[in-house]
Order: sequence, then structure tokens, then C-alpha cells
Amino acid sequence: MNIEIVQGPGNAAAKVSLGANETITAESGSMIAMNSHLHMNTTTHSRGGAGGLLKAVKRMFAGESFFLNHYKAGQEGGDVYLSTPLPGDMMTHELNDESLIVQARSFVACGDDVDVDLGWQGFKSLLSGESMFWIHLKGTGPVILNSFGAIYPIEVDGDVLVDTGHIVAFQDTLDFSITKAGKSWLHSFMGGEGLVCRFHGTGTVWCQSHNPPSFGLQLGPMLKRRPR
Amino acid sequence: MSDTKDFDYDIAGKPDFSFLTVQIPEGETLKVEASAMATMDTNLQMKTKFKGGLSRFLTGESIFINEYTAQGGAGEIGISPGAPGDLEHIYLNNETVYLQNSAFVASSMNINVESKWQGFISGFFSGEGLFLIRCSGKGDLWFNTFGAMIEIDVNDDFVVDTGHIVGFTEGLEYDVSTVGGYKSLFFSGEGLVCRFRGQGKVWIQTKKLGAFENWVWPYRPEPKKNNN
Repeated sequence: MNIEIVQGPGNAAAKVSLGANETITAESGSMIAMNSHLHMNTTTHSRGGAGGLLKAVKRMFAGESFFLNHYKAGQEGGDVYLSTPLPGDMMTHELNDESLIVQARSFVACGDDVDVDLGWQGFKSLLSGESMFWIHLKGTGPVILNSFGAIYPIEVDGDVLVDTGHIVAFQDTLDFSITKAGKSWLHSFMGGEGLVCRFHGTGTVWCQSHNPPSFGLQLGPMLKRRPR
Repeated sequence: MSDTKDFDYDIAGKPDFSFLTVQIPEGETLKVEASAMATMDTNLQMKTKFKGGLSRFLTGESIFINEYTAQGGAGEIGISPGAPGDLEHIYLNNETVYLQNSAFVASSMNINVESKWQGFISGFFSGEGLFLIRCSGKGDLWFNTFGAMIEIDVNDDFVVDTGHIVGFTEGLEYDVSTVGGYKSLFFSGEGLVCRFRGQGKVWIQTKKLGAFENWVWPYRPEPKKNNN
């Protein structure tokens, strides 16, 4: 499988060239074009996972679509192009019997031997206040992620604070806790910084240059009111 | 299609904020999408054409094409499409290209630009309006996208999400269908796709305006409170 990120960083798409009998698992709705002899199969969970209805329901509550699409090539292989609604960049990351924790909206696709688990409860999701959910990817193979705006890695060695809205993904070798940006809760919220994630240890955090809800809140007042 | 050209031109800001500059020799005329002119020399004369008749109103897109003629010396025109994105040039050598109805930017005078009824089924389902723009003849053609553009050489057949089609060459057969069965229409999130068959080129865009609009939608202000 060969993955090429094209047209980044502004309006990136991922070109996935599948070899014979290879499969890529993608977020539903992300396919923009493909060779027509690829076979698409929609499931409620990743093939590698234990899955089932419970996981699918969890995925629905996570605000992620209920379903994952699996694109399988035949003997002759084939290409599939993937993209996402918001402008921004994409990246690939190779897992080697490792785990990665991904902000749900940043997940695009992964290889067949990567398990997609939405049941991950490492953060107290509701407490994060940003209605964000997280996907736990585990296994071996490529992972494709997207960001709103540009994407940049932070190599953590010690402690780093990251605004929760700017997290794309992080390695689970890091310890983390949700905390406040300022000295007191009052200052944190008045300062508009809300909640941040404190990472501790050694590992990589990938961040996006822009936070989608912040952009949405700026656009909101210019739009027509909802009908009553 | 060949690398020749009628006009000297330059495309800056690719692929995210493309902007076209064309040099028009004295006495020559360029067709430009209405409202796309950003800058021009004072010796260019603009003429609005009502060509195309009623059907152009029905495309819901740029209804008029303006013609810019250089008089009393050569002139330069800067052309900026409405949506940020990519821009491409092709030279038609007595060939025909179909464009999605917002993709036309500019062309030589010898290119015949007309709306083409798609037929009820493919038109309604594509979500891109009932018309395509048919460009034929011998000369330059510039077209644009929302997001970046990818050119795909179709050799046997290729599937494209209907919302991501920018244009395609005449001679390709196409029909609109689902990716998998009708089950996939509801669960895969992929909606309807266009299947192209034959030999030719298809241009796709990495982003689509409708998806961005759907993302912005929840940020609309609350309805006005009724005090009565």
C-alpha cells in the first residue's frame, strides 16, 4: 500500500494506491474518487476489532458516523482518493504494534491490521467541554489523519500543555490529564483558553494550527438565524 | 489536448488561492465568467453577452459571460473566481469538455460555451444542478475548483463522488449510481457517485462547497426570542 498526500497543506487529499488484495478502512463519506473495480464494504466496526453493535452505537454517540467503509482491491490493485470537508492538511503515520489516540474528527483512514476503537475513555470526554471524542487506534500499519489548517508535531520530553481543540493525535506512551490553562479556573475561562491537556513523559503530540469551533463561532454571527 | 495556447497567461497562488492573469493582444477578445474580473488595463472594453438565452438562467450559476476586447493597444486582465481554490488551463483542439456549472472561468472567443441539459436522473441526483457547461472548439479554456484540483486519466473506468466532479472530456460514458448496493447509499455516507467509462480525462476537486456549508450550518445563531 502506498499513500501519498497530494495538494497539501491547504486542501489536501490522500491518494491510496492499494496492491493486490489490500484493504483500507476509511471514515464514511471520505472517498472522493476511486477505480471502479475496488470493492466497498460498509461495516459498523473495524475488521480487526471485536466490534459489534455496541461499538457502533458508541461511534454514533461520538458524533462520528456510525459506519466505516472498507475498500478492497482485487488482483490488479487500484487507487482511492480520500478527503474531508474542512480545508487543511493531512498526514500519514506508521504504527508498529503501537497505539495512537486520535481526535475523532481527525481520523481519515487506516490499514487493515489497525483496530479502531471508539470506546476509549481515557479523557472524561464530557468534562473537556468541547464535545470532543477520541479514537484509539492499535496495531500495525499506516494511519491517515487530517487537520483543520496546518499540522505540526511536538516532541514531548517532560511536560507540555496543549489546548484540547488543537490536538490531532498523540502517542499513548504519554501520560495526560485535563487541566486549566491559568492559575485558577476563573482566569482560565475569562482568558478564553478553557481546557488544556497536560502531557507528561516522552512521545509525540500532533497539533492543528486552527481550532474548528473557534472558526465556526466567528462565522456564526454572519449567518442567517435558524428558523424558529 | 495539447500544450499550445492562444494567449499568454500566468496562474499565481496555486493550488489554494489561484488567480489568473491573461495578456490580450490588440484587437483580440477574451470570454470571462461574469463578475470574475478583478483588475484590468483601461484599454480593455467590456461587453456583456446575453448568449445562451433562457437556459443560462436555469443553471443558477454565472448567467452571463463578459467579453473583454483590447482596443488601441494590448491589455492585461486579472481574473479571480469567486471560491478560493485551484485553476487549470487546457487547450482544446476541436475537442469538447464538460464542466460542472460553476467551473467555467475564461476562454478564447473560438470556444463555444453552452449549457447542456443533463437529463433528469443524473441532474437531480448529482446535486450539482441540472446543467453541465459544454465547451467546444479550438482555443484556450480555463476552469476552477473549490479546493485543489486533481487530473485523472481514465483508461477503463473510474468512480467519482458527484460533488467532487469538476469536468471531463467528451467521449467518456457516465452514469450516476451508488457505490455499492442501495444499502450503501444510506449507511456508507458516500451518497451517489458518477461512473465514468472509456478513455479520457476527469478533473476532480479535493473539497466541496456543500460539505463545508454543512459544517458551518450548526453555528447559525439561535432563533429570535418571541416576547409576546
